[in-house]
Amino acid sequence: MNRENKKRKYDKKYYRTHPCTDSFTCKVCGWPVVSAGAGTNHRNHCPNCLYSIHLDNKPGDRESECHGRMEPIGVWVRKKGEWAIIHRCVRCGKISSNRVAADDNPMKLTALAMRPFGKKDGLYPGCFFPEGEL
Amino acid sequence: MKGKEKKKEIYQCLNCGWTSIIREEETPPDHCPNCLCSIHNEDEEGNECGGILEPVGIWVRSEKEWEIVQRCRFCGEMSTTPATEHDNRIKLLSIASKPISSPPFPIERIEEMTRLMGGNTDKGEI
Ligand SMILES: [Zn+2]
Ligand SMILES: [Zn+2]
Ligand SMILES: [Zn+2]
Ligand SMILES: [Zn+2]
Repeated sequence: MNRENKKRKYDKKYYRTHPCTDSFTCKVCGWPVVSAGAGTNHRNHCPNCLYSIHLDNKPGDRESECHGRMEPIGVWVRKKGEWAIIHRCVRCGKISSNRVAADDNPMKLTALAMRPFGKKDGLYPGCFFPEGEL
Repeated sequence: MKGKEKKKEIYQCLNCGWTSIIREEETPPDHCPNCLCSIHNEDEEGNECGGILEPVGIWVRSEKEWEIVQRCRFCGEMSTTPATEHDNRIKLLSIASKPISSPPFPIERIEEMTRLMGGNTDKGEI
């Protein structure tokens, strides 16, 4: 183990101050995730399926022992107009938010944003909106 | 009122000032039905926060259930609260439609962009 790897293993705060440049295979969809192309220093979700893994209590601290899959459940618009993905841990229910990366799958992102407007069986989700009101 | 006066409580929103009467058989709302904000009482470690949880997004939990995703203005923590039929519909809709009204990329080019990045253009379940 070289010195940098050692530091990563034993220094819990490592990722708060260092960019996360690891390449990995997505545990959910198998996509080979490389560090280049994200346009951000912290790649914290898969650009193909948009899932994340519950590793942090506070952003970047790597202190959670949950390690559950975090499902993308929606998107929201941050102050400067950029989109962020809302993740929810399927194991413990924790909600967190991750900035959209430059190479995130635009189809999946759009499908997430459109979810409240999908119509099924003549009913709109959140059925207290009668048909025609949306 | 069947003779005697029933005990009433008043709910007042600390964000927008909305007030409603809570009848005896009702529990106080989890969030303000007008502005959809709540008060962030406690963070995960049990520390008092007191910040305002404001609605930032919608989670379509199932066909019949929407949850409002809230984020604390003070500490940034996020949580969800179930939407109800008493909630301000215009407000709910404006939160739900915010992302599509300010897309980070040209919507009409999505398929082309997805092909270019070699991704999966299947919109279905992941
Ligand atoms: Zn994936
Ligand atoms: Zn978790
Ligand atoms: Zn209010
Ligand atoms: Zn708070």
